[in-house]
Amino acid sequence: MDSRICLENFSVNFDERFHLNNIDWTIEPSQHWVITGTNGSGKSALAAVLAGVGEMESGQISGLPSRVGLVSFEAQAELIAKELKKDDADIMDVIAIGTPVQEMIFENCADPELAAELVEKFGLSHLLDRAFRKLSTGETRKVMLIRALSSKPDLLILDEPFDGLDADTLAMLQQHLASIIDTTPMVMVLNRFDEMPSFITHVAYLEKDGHDGGKLAFKVDRKDESAFAELYQLLHLKTTDLQVPETDPASKLPALDPQQPLVKLTDATIKYDDTVIVDKLNWTIEPGKHWQLSGPNGSGKTGVLSLITGDHPQCYVNDIFVFGFQRGNGESIWQIKQFIGYVSTSLQWEYRVSVSCKNVIISGFYDSIGMYTKSTDSQKKIADEWLALLGMSDRADQPFNKLSYGDQRLLLIARAMVKHPPLLILDEPCLGLDDMNRQLVLALIEKICAGKETTVLYVNHHAEDQIAGIENYLALQKNA
Amino acid sequence: MGNNYFNTLPLREQLAELAKCRFMDMSEFADGVEALKGKKMVVVGCGAQGLNQGLNLRDSGLDVAYALRPEAIEQKRQSWKNATENGFVVGTYEELIPTADVVLNLTPDKQHSSVVEAVMPLMKEGACLSYSHGFNIVEEGMKIRDDLTVIMVAPKCPGSEVRAEYVRGFGVPTLIAVHEDNDPKGEGLALAKAYAVGTGGHKAGVLMSSFIAEVKSDLMGEQTILCGMLQTGSILCFDKMVEEGIDAGYASKLIQYGWETITEALKYGGVTNMLDRLSNPAKIKAFDLAEELKVIMRPLYNKHQDDIIDGTFSRVMMEDWANDDANLLKWRAETAETNFEKTPAGDVEISEQEFFDNGILMVAMVKAGVELAFETMTAAGIIAESAYYESLHETPLIANTIARKKLYEMNATISDTAEYGCYLYNHACVPLLADFMKGIKTDVIGKGLSVEDNGVDNARLIEVNAALRAHPVEAVGSRLRGYMADMKKIV
Repeated sequence: MDSRICLENFSVNFDERFHLNNIDWTIEPSQHWVITGTNGSGKSALAAVLAGVGEMESGQISGLPSRVGLVSFEAQAELIAKELKKDDADIMDVIAIGTPVQEMIFENCADPELAAELVEKFGLSHLLDRAFRKLSTGETRKVMLIRALSSKPDLLILDEPFDGLDADTLAMLQQHLASIIDTTPMVMVLNRFDEMPSFITHVAYLEKDGHDGGKLAFKVDRKDESAFAELYQLLHLKTTDLQVPETDPASKLPALDPQQPLVKLTDATIKYDDTVIVDKLNWTIEPGKHWQLSGPNGSGKTGVLSLITGDHPQCYVNDIFVFGFQRGNGESIWQIKQFIGYVSTSLQWEYRVSVSCKNVIISGFYDSIGMYTKSTDSQKKIADEWLALLGMSDRADQPFNKLSYGDQRLLLIARAMVKHPPLLILDEPCLGLDDMNRQLVLALIEKICAGKETTVLYVNHHAEDQIAGIENYLALQKNA
Repeated sequence: MGNNYFNTLPLREQLAELAKCRFMDMSEFADGVEALKGKKMVVVGCGAQGLNQGLNLRDSGLDVAYALRPEAIEQKRQSWKNATENGFVVGTYEELIPTADVVLNLTPDKQHSSVVEAVMPLMKEGACLSYSHGFNIVEEGMKIRDDLTVIMVAPKCPGSEVRAEYVRGFGVPTLIAVHEDNDPKGEGLALAKAYAVGTGGHKAGVLMSSFIAEVKSDLMGEQTILCGMLQTGSILCFDKMVEEGIDAGYASKLIQYGWETITEALKYGGVTNMLDRLSNPAKIKAFDLAEELKVIMRPLYNKHQDDIIDGTFSRVMMEDWANDDANLLKWRAETAETNFEKTPAGDVEISEQEFFDNGILMVAMVKAGVELAFETMTAAGIIAESAYYESLHETPLIANTIARKKLYEMNATISDTAEYGCYLYNHACVPLLADFMKGIKTDVIGKGLSVEDNGVDNARLIEVNAALRAHPVEAVGSRLRGYMADMKKIV
């Protein structure tokens, strides 16, 4: 490939059934890309675009190579379908044998020498005379690969090339691919990061866009290690079907009366000197009803939350009912906090003690910042499950304060959720996060909202960070 | 005004009281705040300790209100604002003290006599009076009504830390005591324990001590190693560096932040770890300097301890109180005029390790001061645990105040009593070290050793390492830090 491939604001559809929207993407001749993303986001479609598939709607596309080697399930299915059609077309009443493998590989072959070598390596020598359509799925995949590799392509497109290959073949293929990187640019579709060959230079990440579309959400240079790590985590959260871990039976919370509200504020007021921040707010949070709280800076969002959590000293002069306690009657704040999971930027600032990632999660059982009690084996096991969910198992023993900002936030959400609190308060959980980390946090919260035990109170003023499942809204006004 | 209470006791009891100090087991706090549940606690004074202890106690489910003087309420002074903005009931002594089951006296030492004299007649029969420092009882000989229970609960950290640690779910090390002469119902210990739980102190470790041991060790620590040594060291090291041609901004920064950095190492691993941060030749140098300093300064430490034990110190200081703090204010002004205080820290980068490498003399001074204070206290009959807390444990806390705003901040943060003692120490110690300082060059303060290589004599290094580790403050320190580490920072 001599020139770059360039897609500018490019939109395309595939039989009107699926759309890729507004793609901006440049592939330099020296680059090797992996396309990845969530299920149904159009990974294979984007790869196919490079082979000229799809109906352009708008935008620009240039530099598409003339000779493309394409291996994909779709192409494989198409080839097999074509073979079967040949049978149908046979008017003679004999059992058709179909095209032999020999012919499939060597007819119109640009590099027969290489093809012969690969046939040997893939262990297909004894199948050369067999009909292509008689091969197993794995064997047809190998034939496809040999055809693509020996076609001297300007661009090699491999859609899930490693699926279904045995370990030896996989190693052989990877080795072969590594040997041609200087002459052949590659684009691979992969669902699993751990299959990514070391020569890959860039990753394109797709997301769903509407119910029948996809978009190119992130492009990451592999040299950018932190972005790469985040992408790994995002993919992990989005694509694995993990369940939120169970809580520790030994740390079970006292039961709440399901007939009573979780929180009831009556004429709640916060004032300093003569400045009234919150004026006579009445608010009831019933179990199972998720809320979004919004309002401009200075409207008292955080103040209202801290009345609920017991962190605001004026909670003792207000009429506050929380988790069965009418405040100011001899209850301790730890009796209140046990029912609440809490995440905010300020918590993150305050969480400055030097503890391991695992202990940060476990500290959620104790509502403490840092760990001051020995944890139980069962708590450790749950923390490990959360770390696995976050894709951070390898960082269990690393100090929390050495993590990236976004990873710290994810851990604090896990810390808040570890005890399955009746109320989860997320005070601007995406604040200060870049787009990728924002996606990560929202993905995690959606997993949590889908559960039944926890009522979510979500505080945000970014309209785009809506969370599915929230149906109640309270907007605070700034007092003049 | 009564007589010095300590001096009225027979020697046998003096020794017994001085030796009281026991690290309590977590299981002793199993009753939580039960002994104080439903009782009315009235705090007198709403400064940093008063406010923050009150916030913690209330968050632990206890009933807390604040009694302030009428003028503080009328003029809406800071103490009134502190209490009302945090949603506490505030009233005068007359309004609140008669309703109180426990009165928490959290005013400065100097006001104790007048506060207690005002409060005591208003207190109801059989109530409890709590102190956070025993000076008034021990040194001023305040006699408390026989029907009242008298206890002490003293968090060993500034008020802001008391709150911050509680909010994290932890606490700060706390000392508790019961005044034996005032425990008519035998409930003093139960109340003190519940109070310590209410402030979160039980999570960080509680020492059961006596009023006497607390006062005599606290005074000794604060005026010698904690404040006095750091003040004298700052002044001498700064002037020496400038005299030797080191940039004044650099010298100022090395000292201002150096104490904090080197005592951070002390906090984690005692004197041994602090010296282990030095190269081997520098370690031996610091060790030798410290040995020399200990010989020169030992008589001064003995004098401070003797004056504290026999009451001379408090008598002289109270004379100054009666004289409108004439000496204290004069000495405070003099401190503000020292070259170190007047020279702002320069805009230079000093790495963490450089504070050690270029501050060998400062390391030696901390080592000498900690060990001397500890040795003198234990020789006077104070038990090792008390002596450890009042010397090594608190040194980093004081060093932090110097890092914030030099000696001014230190002296503003500590009590008047500590400040007064600090100046006494400094006035005696600066001339005492004059000859010693003549021999000091920039290799031990300002520039670091200029050695060809880091080679040392094996035998000498082994001797020094063994001596460091064998000091009794290291044995008790590693044990007490071990208790702390069990609870805190399970990394």
